[in-house]
Amino acid sequence: MAQVEKFHYDNAIVRNFAYATMIWGLVGMLVGLIIALQLIFPQLNLGIAEVSYGRLRPLHTNAVIFAFVGNGIFTGVYYSLQRLLKARMFSKVLSNFHFWGWQAIIVSAAVTLPLGLTSSHEYAELEWPIDIAIALVWIAFGINMFGTLIKRRENHLYVAIWFYIATWVTVTVLHVGNNLELPVSAFKSYPVFAGVQDALIQWWYGHNAVAFFLTTPYLGLMYYFLPKAANRPVYSYKLSIIHFWALIFIYIWAGPHHLLYTSLPDWAQSLGTVFSVMLIAPSWGGMLNGLLTLRGAWDRVRQDPVLKFMVVAVTAYGMSTFEGPMLSVKSVNAISHFTDWTIGHVHIGALGWNGFLTFGMLYWLIPRLFNTKLHSEKLANTHFWIGTMGILFYAIPLYWAGWTQSLMWKEFTPDGFLKYGNFLETVTQILPMYAMRVVGGTLYLVGNIIMVYNLVKTVRSGSFISDEAAEAPALVSTHGVHKGEYWHRWVERRPVQMLLLATIAILIGGIIEIFPMVMIESNVPRIESVKPYTPLELAGRDMYIREGCLGCHSQMVRPFRSETERYGEYSKSGEYIYDRPFLWGSKRTGPDLQRVGGKYPDSWHFNHMLEPQSISPGSIMPPYPWMIRDELSLDILPKKIKALRTLGTPYPEGYEQIAIADAQKQAEQIAARLKKDGIELEGLEKKEIVAMIAYLQRLGTDIKPKAQATN
Amino acid sequence: MFKYILENAGNINWMAIAALITFFTIFILSAAVVLRKDKAFIRKMSMMPLEDSFSQPTETENRHEA
Ligand code: HEC
Repeated sequence: MAQVEKFHYDNAIVRNFAYATMIWGLVGMLVGLIIALQLIFPQLNLGIAEVSYGRLRPLHTNAVIFAFVGNGIFTGVYYSLQRLLKARMFSKVLSNFHFWGWQAIIVSAAVTLPLGLTSSHEYAELEWPIDIAIALVWIAFGINMFGTLIKRRENHLYVAIWFYIATWVTVTVLHVGNNLELPVSAFKSYPVFAGVQDALIQWWYGHNAVAFFLTTPYLGLMYYFLPKAANRPVYSYKLSIIHFWALIFIYIWAGPHHLLYTSLPDWAQSLGTVFSVMLIAPSWGGMLNGLLTLRGAWDRVRQDPVLKFMVVAVTAYGMSTFEGPMLSVKSVNAISHFTDWTIGHVHIGALGWNGFLTFGMLYWLIPRLFNTKLHSEKLANTHFWIGTMGILFYAIPLYWAGWTQSLMWKEFTPDGFLKYGNFLETVTQILPMYAMRVVGGTLYLVGNIIMVYNLVKTVRSGSFISDEAAEAPALVSTHGVHKGEYWHRWVERRPVQMLLLATIAILIGGIIEIFPMVMIESNVPRIESVKPYTPLELAGRDMYIREGCLGCHSQMVRPFRSETERYGEYSKSGEYIYDRPFLWGSKRTGPDLQRVGGKYPDSWHFNHMLEPQSISPGSIMPPYPWMIRDELSLDILPKKIKALRTLGTPYPEGYEQIAIADAQKQAEQIAARLKKDGIELEGLEKKEIVAMIAYLQRLGTDIKPKAQATN
Repeated sequence: MFKYILENAGNINWMAIAALITFFTIFILSAAVVLRKDKAFIRKMSMMPLEDSFSQPTETENRHEA
């Protein structure tokens, strides 16, 4: 028998991450509330670039995903890992580096995103220097985790730890894969892949950020904290093993369901659909496993707020994992895509699954870290009810809004015309739903504030156990005893083998799906008339990226009559070969812009960007007065041209030397046209707006036969 | 219903078929292995979260005593 060793769990790092979770939760939700308000009161954009909708939206998503949920993951992992392995964290230095590094990354996101420094890849917006910092901190976390695994005192790895390991390896692969970019300056880069290929990689990433950042680590937490809070073991450990392998293997394939009916080749879309539908099986297996853990303990659920939060969380997980596959079926996706249905869907996941599981975990954890009782069960129950109401008031109006939008976009009159030819009508129709959503968001945030108050009170009343004493027998060497054991038992003893198997499981999908797309040229048919952007258009395009216009506008006309009728010829993959990054977008709060080039005169855009409501009364598009005020900076153009040529855009050798002059020339032409339409402004040809107009007027014109009529 | 979904998914080429076959092989293998595991081991594993720092007796243990 091995000697019993005494050691201490590090609770300080757990407490730090828990505090960060609480703080960033408030911040992320507050920003969400602000942008929700901006959608009904566009004046709240204040005419200030840094707080306009397009720039704040990525701040909201990043804050919720990486700051709130991210810190939530680390809280739970640092707590449970030590206890499941019967070992203190491997290195205090790495723990602290991880903690402070992660917070510094969040702060730099909070600074750079409002400044418009973005790669525009959704949920991977941060620019390359921050990407590198993320990689470093993530690796530190990995070393710390594997170091702890190696010095563990427990032979076997509980299933929660497998989920942590799979999370770590997949997020590493995804982060690197989706951020392959060539820096142009300290805060600007172009992605290595363009157009359709960039889109495929982005949504392989985007979907798996949901899978491996919002789902697998939280499933690990569920498998640890739910049994703990219920004080009974998980319903079926066997099921949890099947849940794990099936889930990580299937999830990685599902990304293309974000690109159904787009210019992505059909076979890739099919793979996405098939695997998404298959996902129901492991997801529901996991959900049932969670809920059945509570069988016979429902009386406790009724009293214990921790369990209540967890039950709703697991139920929300079940709902979104049923809805997700459904939204991946092509016929449903044709209706749901680009509408607010998707926004409703993700919030069931974020508010219900991630939010409520985090709250449950914090209510359970904080009193234990501080060796005391929760300050007020009553307040926790209040939080539970307000939060649940918040989810309902948030999600139901958005589902309604999504369906309404979709029906209106697709409705034809008996004579075969679009019933709502003016897109704006479909926007104003759903504003009441947007207002209700604000109510829902407010309720949810209020609940969160109550929790923070309750937990602060709890902290005050207790005394922190920084190093918690524990003892366990030292790990006996198991070398050579695995003969005759099942392979799985052998595997889970060895975290490195586990890591390798998980890596293989996730790589198979990535490789089969992505390699052919990226490597085989014929997957993206070329179109003779498609030419690279002019330098001025390029400058305008980068402004479009800076302002986050893709938070409201898509650039992807799908092959439906309702869309070709409204926007024009449907989009071809060959049109995007110079798009670095691709800007297809994921939601249409405003109309698609892929064919907007030539639709209006330059002066229309000038006035519309300055004050959208003056041109389209009732529009909720933010005004962009700074584009008319600020001077266009062209100095960086030669570098951009060079970088793009390196990546494969066929700008002639030496073109960078005349790029600025070329841009100035085009700017003067546009300024002259604006002047002709009566727009008088000192130095008009030097303003940003000119580049914006150049880009908008170029959009979709490469294959467009002639200028479209208005609608 | 599944057939309908598959038909609707568009052209399924050999890649999709290969992927499905790989998946089902892995799935069936792991299910078979998992189901053959011995009870005591599974029980020990599932008790793991309950046996760390806080020595509250679990409900299952309570029942054994009763
Ligand atoms: C909050 C969402 C939102 C954001 C952000 C936004 N728009 Fe819009 N946009 C709209 C809406 C709604 C309309 C339709 C009503 C209108 O014409 O203003 C619209 C219309 C347009 C149109 C006219 C399209 C047409 O076919 O009539 C253009 C062009 C346009 N936006 C460009 C931009 C650009 C460029 C940006 C970024 C600098 C941007 N928008 C940012 C919501 C938005």
